[in-house]
Amino acid sequence: MKPGIADDEQPPKPTGTIHDLGYKRYIGTRRAASTRWRVIARQQISFAWKTWWRFKAALGLAVITMSIAGGMMMFASDRKSSLGRAQFFAQRLIDTTLPESIIWFCRAGFLASLTISATVIASDIQGGAFTFYFARSTRPWHYVLGKLVGLCALVALVVFAGPLVIACLRLGVSDTTEQLREILPIIPKTLAVGVLATLAYAAVPLGFSALLPNRRHALALWAAYYLIFGAMAYALGHVASPSIAALDLPRAVQAVTFHLFDLEFRGNDPEIPLAAALASLSIHITVSIGIVAYQVSRAQKSGVGGAS
Amino acid sequence: MSEPPLIELAHLTKRFGQITALHELDAVVDGKIIGLLGPNGAGKSTLLKCLLGLIPYEGEARVLGLHARTHGAEIRDRVGYMPEQEALLAGMSAVELCAYAGELSGLPRTEAMQRAHAALYYADVDEKRYQTIDGYSTGMKQRVKLAQALVHDPEILFLDEPTNGLDPRSRDEMLSLISELPERRGCAIVLSTHLLQDVERVCDRAVIMHEGKIRFVGSIDELRGARGRDSELVVEVKADAAKLAETLVAAGAKCEVTSPVALHVDLPADATSELVFRAGRDAGIQVRGLSLRRETVETAFLRVISETVKETSATGDGRPAKLS
Repeated sequence: MKPGIADDEQPPKPTGTIHDLGYKRYIGTRRAASTRWRVIARQQISFAWKTWWRFKAALGLAVITMSIAGGMMMFASDRKSSLGRAQFFAQRLIDTTLPESIIWFCRAGFLASLTISATVIASDIQGGAFTFYFARSTRPWHYVLGKLVGLCALVALVVFAGPLVIACLRLGVSDTTEQLREILPIIPKTLAVGVLATLAYAAVPLGFSALLPNRRHALALWAAYYLIFGAMAYALGHVASPSIAALDLPRAVQAVTFHLFDLEFRGNDPEIPLAAALASLSIHITVSIGIVAYQVSRAQKSGVGGAS
Repeated sequence: MSEPPLIELAHLTKRFGQITALHELDAVVDGKIIGLLGPNGAGKSTLLKCLLGLIPYEGEARVLGLHARTHGAEIRDRVGYMPEQEALLAGMSAVELCAYAGELSGLPRTEAMQRAHAALYYADVDEKRYQTIDGYSTGMKQRVKLAQALVHDPEILFLDEPTNGLDPRSRDEMLSLISELPERRGCAIVLSTHLLQDVERVCDRAVIMHEGKIRFVGSIDELRGARGRDSELVVEVKADAAKLAETLVAAGAKCEVTSPVALHVDLPADATSELVFRAGRDAGIQVRGLSLRRETVETAFLRVISETVKETSATGDGRPAKLS
């Protein structure tokens, strides 16, 4: 307090106010419109990372799956030489751990989709975000690509990174250089399966999120489709054509894996043909991206202006 | 070379199937703060969408000299839009949202962040800028919406009902912010609103739309005095306005005493304001003030609309005014 100045005339106490940074007209160059999707993708990733606890269960399941699969592989490799006639089983365990674990990574992918991708578009519709995006130079394809790339990066952490680590471990536990060279193709095979699974678990829930304007409804629809419709398709695959079971997303991914890794389907599992599995995944992904593109393009035309 | 006008329309028509939402609009709009007025369904929002290049149309629409049909994205980079409805991203803080808005308009990341802070400072969003928007009051949300529209340094701002849902104090503050924008940020404003008091307070020009047509383009002064009558006067006297009114009525004028010291006078066709002074002298009343009687923006707006309705019913051109 300054002496000699009345209380009500004292200068205000500094309260940590934010200072005016001034205003200058922006004269720099603007980034090309074609880079907008990168901004959207980055924001999608940083937002999910900021609220990563929502992502924790899925990531946790993926890490657990990876640890168990890796541990089993290391253990079998370590004890293989001392197993005598049971060596065959240990070797089989080492060879099948990766493809068998894919279904678990798919389950983790589903959990991730529930928290990050199944509500994306519905949330944006509900919050009026399309007005925010499309009153700017953002075009529908920037939005769709940005969201898809962002979600793929996140989903890949769950369904792509884990299998890739296990594949690398498999190479690491090779007995000889000759064997390593022989099994080297598991890397591109794992990459192919990882890409398919990533696309499926990012694009399909994103498509469902574009179907309904309410985020909870969209979430429920995706969960119902995945769990109930998937189970029905799987059951029908038993009694009718095995190709029908390819409509169940995790089974389709698993079928592609088994075919790529030359593994036999287990006794009671429908033997889904590779073509059916690939067709199912492609159709799911394409239709979902189509739905998203259509809805977003429609939203662009009607979103700005309020009354529509 | 002279700057192109803010908005140019030539035979702009927009049809939704059988319904014509905008009908042959021709106008050149310029100014600092332009009020875009019209009842619901007048076509304001459709016009806005055409100007932003979001929907196809017939005829021509130019914003800042750019064709909206072919340069929509460039126009949107140079225009800021503050929507009426909620258009904020849940879970983000105000500063994150504004920086994101800047980046989406092509600003580099660092620049976008700096300008986000500057825009929020201008909009008077203090330390709360770091909290998520979900918990903001309506007034705060409106300020953030204004900041996100400003962040990329637009040359024109489209403000859609910016004072909607605000309490009187916040409304007053928002209008002050808006009125200072052309001076402080060098941008023109198109203010779409139903609140005619807001227009009266901040706008220097107005565009009135009704049933998909532009009914008036011009300055607020022109709107209020659009009838061009200098025979309608407001007369202030020292006392006894009623007595002066009697004298004026006797001279052929029409009078309405509004208070003991003021009256509205409609002079006869060939009379001038001299008649008032003469009547004052005859009645022994001191005339202290004489001014042209101006309509309020509200009265002028209602007059323009009612003239349209009369015109429509006379010509039988009754089209449904929908879709905006």
